[in-house]
Amino acid sequence: MAPRRQYLFSTVATKVLIAIAGLSLVGFLCVHLAGNLLLYVGAPAFNAYSHVLISNPFIVPLELALLALFVLHVLEAVTMWWTDRAARPIAYQMTRSAGGRSRKSLASTTMIVTGPIVFVFVAVHVATMKYGPWYVADLHGTEARDLHRLVLETLRRPVWLAVYLPCLAAVGLHLWHGVSSAFESLGLHGPRLTPKVLVAGKALAVAIAAGFLSIPIWIFFFGGRS
Amino acid sequence: MNVTVRVWRQGGAFGEGRLVPYEARDVSPDMSFLEMLDVVNESLVASGQPPIAFDSDCREGICGMCSLVVNGVPHGPDRGSTVCQLHMRRFKDGDTITVEPWRAAAFPVRRDLIVDRGAFDQIIAAGGYVSVGTGSAPDANAIPIPKDVAESAMDSAACIGCGACVAACKNASASLFVGAKVSQLALLPQGHPERVARARALVQAMDDLGFGNCSNEGECEAVCPKEISIANIARMRREYLRALVLGTDR
Ligand code: FES
Repeated sequence: MAPRRQYLFSTVATKVLIAIAGLSLVGFLCVHLAGNLLLYVGAPAFNAYSHVLISNPFIVPLELALLALFVLHVLEAVTMWWTDRAARPIAYQMTRSAGGRSRKSLASTTMIVTGPIVFVFVAVHVATMKYGPWYVADLHGTEARDLHRLVLETLRRPVWLAVYLPCLAAVGLHLWHGVSSAFESLGLHGPRLTPKVLVAGKALAVAIAAGFLSIPIWIFFFGGRS
Repeated sequence: MNVTVRVWRQGGAFGEGRLVPYEARDVSPDMSFLEMLDVVNESLVASGQPPIAFDSDCREGICGMCSLVVNGVPHGPDRGSTVCQLHMRRFKDGDTITVEPWRAAAFPVRRDLIVDRGAFDQIIAAGGYVSVGTGSAPDANAIPIPKDVAESAMDSAACIGCGACVAACKNASASLFVGAKVSQLALLPQGHPERVARARALVQAMDDLGFGNCSNEGECEAVCPKEISIANIARMRREYLRALVLGTDR
C-alpha cells in the first residue's frame, strides 16, 4: 500500500495540531466571554473595552492569527473525517456503546455535526457584529463605535435569539468532549492528571456555554442594560 | 433456552453479504456463545447448508482469535472478556442476537464472520520488536527494573492482538494496539534504545494500512478483553512527538 501521510500529516500529528488549535480557540473564547460580560456593567464599560480592542494596532495580526488557527482546526478536522470514513467503508448493522470506561457521549459522537454548526455560526456572527452597522458613541469626548447598541438591537430580535441559543449550545457540546480530548491528543495523560482534566474540561464547557447563553437570554427577556 | 441469531453471511471476500436469521433451539445456558454457534452449525451441516464461518482457537480468552461483534459490541456485553468467554446465560430465552464481523478497511472480511487481521502483523513487522542483540538470558535481577515500570509494561504486553479496539472505534483506529506495543517495549531497558524509531515506524505503518484517527472516546479500552488503558495511546503520542522533534536516529 502506498504511504499515505508522514510526519506532520500522520494521524498522531493531525490530532496534535487540532488539539493545539482547539485549545487556543478555547483560550480566545474565555477572553471573548470576559469581554462580553461587560454588557452586564453597561454601555460605557462595554464600548470602552471594544474601543481599546478596535483601536489597538496589534488587533489585526491577532485576528489573522486567530483566523489561521480556526482554518487549521477546520481543515485538519475535515481531512481527518475523510480518512476516518475511508477506514470503515462498510458500517455495522448494529452499534452500541460498550459503556464501562468508555467516554463516548452525545458530545463525542456529534463533533462532526457541532463543528460545522459552530463554523457557520462564527461566520454569521462576525458578519453581523464585527461587520454590522457602525453606530457612533461618545466616549468621554472621543468618538467610539457604539457596539453596545448593535448587540442590543440584534439580540432583542426573536430571529437572532433563535440563531444564537442553539449555536451557543453547540459550542458547549463541542467543548464537552473537545477540551479533555485535546489533552489526550497531546499525550497529556496520567493517573492524577486525567480525572482532573475530564472534570475541568466539562466544567469549562458548561461555564463557557452558560456564560455566552446568558447574554442573549438576558437581553431578549429582560432588555439588557443601557 | 431458544434464541434467534442474526448472523452476517458472506460467501467470500468479494461477495455481497447480509444478515441471516437462524433459530438456536434447546441451547444450554452454560454453553459458551461459540458453542451455541457450533450447535447452529451442526444443524446447518445436517441439512446440507454451509456452516457459519467464524474464528476461534483457544476458547479460553488468551489467544485473541475469536472476533465477533455481538449486538453492536465487539466481544459482546461482558467487560474485560473475549467472546469465547461469553456464556448463553448472559441472554434471555427468546432473545434475538445480532452477530457481525469486525468492520474496518484494514480488516477485510474473508467469509461470513472471519476477517483478515494481517494488518496487525504488518504493523509489528514494521518495527514492533527489539533488533539489538541482547545475548543470552541475563541473571535474574541483573537488570534492575522498578516494580511500577515492570507492572505497566506487563499491562501493555497483555494485548492479545484480537483487534476489538479497531472494531469498536468509530474511526477504525488501531491506536490502542499500536500504543500497547510501543509502550510495552519503550518501558523496558531492552526496548528503550529503539523506542523513538519504533514509534515512528509503527504509526507510519498504521496510517499506511488505512486505519483511522483516534477520537479519544475510549470505546477501545471499554471493549478490550485485557482492559488495556488508553494511557498507552497517550504514551504512543509522546513517543511519536519525540520522534518528530529529535528525528529517528536516537
Ligand atoms: S478463542 Fe482464543 S481468545 Fe477467544
